[in-house]
Amino acid sequence: MAVEILVKNVANNDSVRMRVESNEKVSDIIDSAAEYWKKDAGAYVLKKGKTLLCSSDTAVEINLMNDDILEMMPDPEGGRK
Amino acid sequence: MIVSGFSNRDRFDRMRRVNWIDVDSIHKTRCLVVGAGALGNEAVKDLVLAGFRDITIVDMDDIVVSNLSRCLFFRESDVKKAMKANIVAERASELDPEVNIRPLSIRIQDLDEWDFDIILGCLDNISARMHTNSHAYYYGIPYVDGATDGLYGKVQVVLPNGPCLQCTMNRSHIREMEKRFTCTGSGSTYVPKIASDITTTSVIAGIQVREVMKIVSGRADMCIRHVSYYDGNKGEMFTVEATIDKECQNHIYERTK
Repeated sequence: MAVEILVKNVANNDSVRMRVESNEKVSDIIDSAAEYWKKDAGAYVLKKGKTLLCSSDTAVEINLMNDDILEMMPDPEGGRK
Repeated sequence: MIVSGFSNRDRFDRMRRVNWIDVDSIHKTRCLVVGAGALGNEAVKDLVLAGFRDITIVDMDDIVVSNLSRCLFFRESDVKKAMKANIVAERASELDPEVNIRPLSIRIQDLDEWDFDIILGCLDNISARMHTNSHAYYYGIPYVDGATDGLYGKVQVVLPNGPCLQCTMNRSHIREMEKRFTCTGSGSTYVPKIASDITTTSVIAGIQVREVMKIVSGRADMCIRHVSYYDGNKGEMFTVEATIDKECQNHIYERTK
């Protein structure tokens, strides 16, 4: 069964509603959101409340419900230069 | 007359007054610092001042002029003449005559012996992070990773049997890593210029070293679980919990036990 959720982009304060099938993975949600915001550089992660979501988990495994809010955040990688 | 005891004879007297800090354990800890750039300079400075006396620094690069705005130990006269690891080792040793710092000007992928008690990741790319993370996890060494991008940064604490760096990665990390290899068309790695400033670097390196102090003092229970993100634009910080990824290669052995 599909659920409708809201994905927020922490970097630009924008958000998008998304329909997610129960067998879809967190990585699919990240890819769809990244495509929507045309993100082509950098890595990013998705969190639900105070939990960082595991990319291989499905919507069922993370207990995704209608109107849940997920936040997409940039994942920094610099520090040596 | 008030006698203040031996406080002026002990360099670490003020630290000993923090009840959970175990200065003796800190003195004995064998640290590996991977990366001797912005985060590495700050982390080594904090480690030495905090009493760590056995430090190995790995970095394959020489010093360039843009390092000078964030790297405490580098001087203009070092530019294009000296290796980062050597200079950090030499100058940080001046802070405490008891410290023994071993510089290794090699890629982390070329390090053969992983005989350490704790590892600090002060890197600038996902590939080197994944290599360090997998080795730390395999050998059961706690790993505290730091990363920055402009005024944004994060610290991740990886403890044996807990979620590792790779557990928190996804396809966007893999794409970013692959992009760097395909840009050069060879085995070498293209590293884009990532925004960086000393204030964020100091905050992130400081938190890394504090988490290391908790672990070696036997207070891993007080550590960040598992990733703290810092936003210097807003002056905000928050921590998120991670879980072990059932598809993570580093946890295969645990799953088959």
